[in-house]
Amino acid sequence: MTAENAVPLTLLSDLTPPSLERTWLTAPHPVLPLVATCSSDKTVRVYSLTNFHLLSTISGGHKRSVRTCAWKPNISGESVLATGSFDATVGIWRRWDNYEETVGQHRDAADHSYDADGGHDQDEDEEWRFAVLLDGHDSEVKSVSWSASGMLLATCSRDKSIWIWEDLDDGDNNFETVAVMQEHEGDVKCVAWHPTEECLASGSYDDTIRIWREDIDDWGQVSCIRGHEGTVWGVDWEAIENIPSSELVSGQEEAWKQWHALSGPRIASCSHDRTVRIWRRQPRARVSSSAMSGIPSIIRPSGTDETWEEDAVLQKAHVLSIYAVAWSRRTGLLASVGADGRIAVYKERFVAASQTQPMDTNPPTPAGDGTDGTAISHIPTEWKIVAIIDGAHGIYEINHVAWAKRADRGRHGSNDEEVLITTADDGSIKVWSITR
Amino acid sequence: MASEMQNSNPTILDTADLPTRLRPSVSSKTTTYGSEFFAAVLPSLMHGTADPLSDYSPFSSDSEGDGELMEEPIDEQEIYDLISTISDPEHPISLGALAVVSLPDISIKSSLSDVPGSPLRTVTVLITPTITHCSLATVIGLGVRVRLEQSLPPRFRVDVRIKEGTHSTAGEVNKQLADKERVAAALENGTLMGVIAKMLETCQ
Repeated sequence: MTAENAVPLTLLSDLTPPSLERTWLTAPHPVLPLVATCSSDKTVRVYSLTNFHLLSTISGGHKRSVRTCAWKPNISGESVLATGSFDATVGIWRRWDNYEETVGQHRDAADHSYDADGGHDQDEDEEWRFAVLLDGHDSEVKSVSWSASGMLLATCSRDKSIWIWEDLDDGDNNFETVAVMQEHEGDVKCVAWHPTEECLASGSYDDTIRIWREDIDDWGQVSCIRGHEGTVWGVDWEAIENIPSSELVSGQEEAWKQWHALSGPRIASCSHDRTVRIWRRQPRARVSSSAMSGIPSIIRPSGTDETWEEDAVLQKAHVLSIYAVAWSRRTGLLASVGADGRIAVYKERFVAASQTQPMDTNPPTPAGDGTDGTAISHIPTEWKIVAIIDGAHGIYEINHVAWAKRADRGRHGSNDEEVLITTADDGSIKVWSITR
Repeated sequence: MASEMQNSNPTILDTADLPTRLRPSVSSKTTTYGSEFFAAVLPSLMHGTADPLSDYSPFSSDSEGDGELMEEPIDEQEIYDLISTISDPEHPISLGALAVVSLPDISIKSSLSDVPGSPLRTVTVLITPTITHCSLATVIGLGVRVRLEQSLPPRFRVDVRIKEGTHSTAGEVNKQLADKERVAAALENGTLMGVIAKMLETCQ
């Protein structure tokens, strides 16, 4: 496998000091230049992306490895972190936002997000406050995810269930169990919310990806996506506004936008089967027409049911299990990491219609409005590996990859410059700059 | 643990007949085994298992001690010696004597076939349970995996599987043993680790 290295990836810095034990995941803060890293040493470390140093260590909450964590979006003045542990519990932690004083950063860097309201008592505000422990899962919690609004928290476990909790935001740290979904037939390895809607995707040891929505009052499965031939370790959503690159074929953007608005953001998934796959929902208008053309009744859509189909299997980049995939919401680039210690970055671009598979019989006509019965064909694209780094963490397996806004000194001006953050078995966390 | 044994009368091999490089009262670490000689004469057969290759990493990792450079090569016999002395969870007999593990069912190969200089090695151990429905197969497999992960340098990937055709639910057991997250969680389970520790008591 070759990479053109059209998008050079270079090591910017390690996050120091690291955990001396396995680290599982690093979650970038939605607004502030911070990340939180989960470790087997039962703690979470918070690092600065401006100077790459440790700011806080959150400890004392979990009895076993912290496997996962997620920052609550859509709040200001305070940061809220959910942590999931092998001890079967989910912790909620709070801290007033005043890290910029600690790292001495200029406040104009992200003026809207910092709260330096001098009213808080400094000694207390330095610390992370343990807010509440969410108890319910029977075994290890594998993944947690906040909905875009920050109102809902999804958690999943080896007990095969997904729990949805509502943050009542009543000032008393109360969370209400909204749903417990038990359709998966194996450990639920990952959960990820749709970028804007209250729609959840999950990946499992049962090799499936499932999509969940609320119908009137009940949360339920609206799709079960089969295709992977091994545990689905990670799923991530595409940005609503994503558009592939026009470097090969231009003029497709408008048609793409129309089609994309109908099918909604796609999902990327990675698996023990060493593949990264892209899935897309059939536009609703097309669902009714294809139901007549011989789709087996078992998957005939009814009510809220959705039909998801495989959009692409990405060019093979890994030879061992792939543990994480991250789809940049800013650039549309996709990154994957895994047991082979390799980082791969992929780029999607428009191609001419003739370059698509023969089964794609419809020419890529610009989509109609979706109601006149004309086929809404998706616009042909291809995925290309643009960067590969072997042995990115030496001999160690890489457990997680995430995109974050670049924030080190002197880089405040360029708004969409990104870094890639990788998290490995030896405790190391590396920040990579990406040149575009 | 089941109160009744699953296999009360297993076939037992004479430990004196088992292949080993271990000598009574001589630990494996003091056995020099002329590794330098073999490494010089048979470089291709040694498959680069000697550890100077761990320099390979473009971002040299501090936690990978220099001590590894001096380590003797690790071959199938050494893997066998590490795991054959593990005790069966229900008999006070070693996995070697029960032929649950055997030398021909151990292999070492490069983990990344497409990266010629990579120091990563995958050790594959095929396990033959004493009876086809043995529910302890997962525990035995986990014991072997734990033993190797604790003994081998981190550039080794451990792949423990049930030998094809020897167990009724081999696929299920194999999927569990290959799942890094499940294995990691099992290592934090006190009850399970108690059983594993007992199995490993008989290892040097």
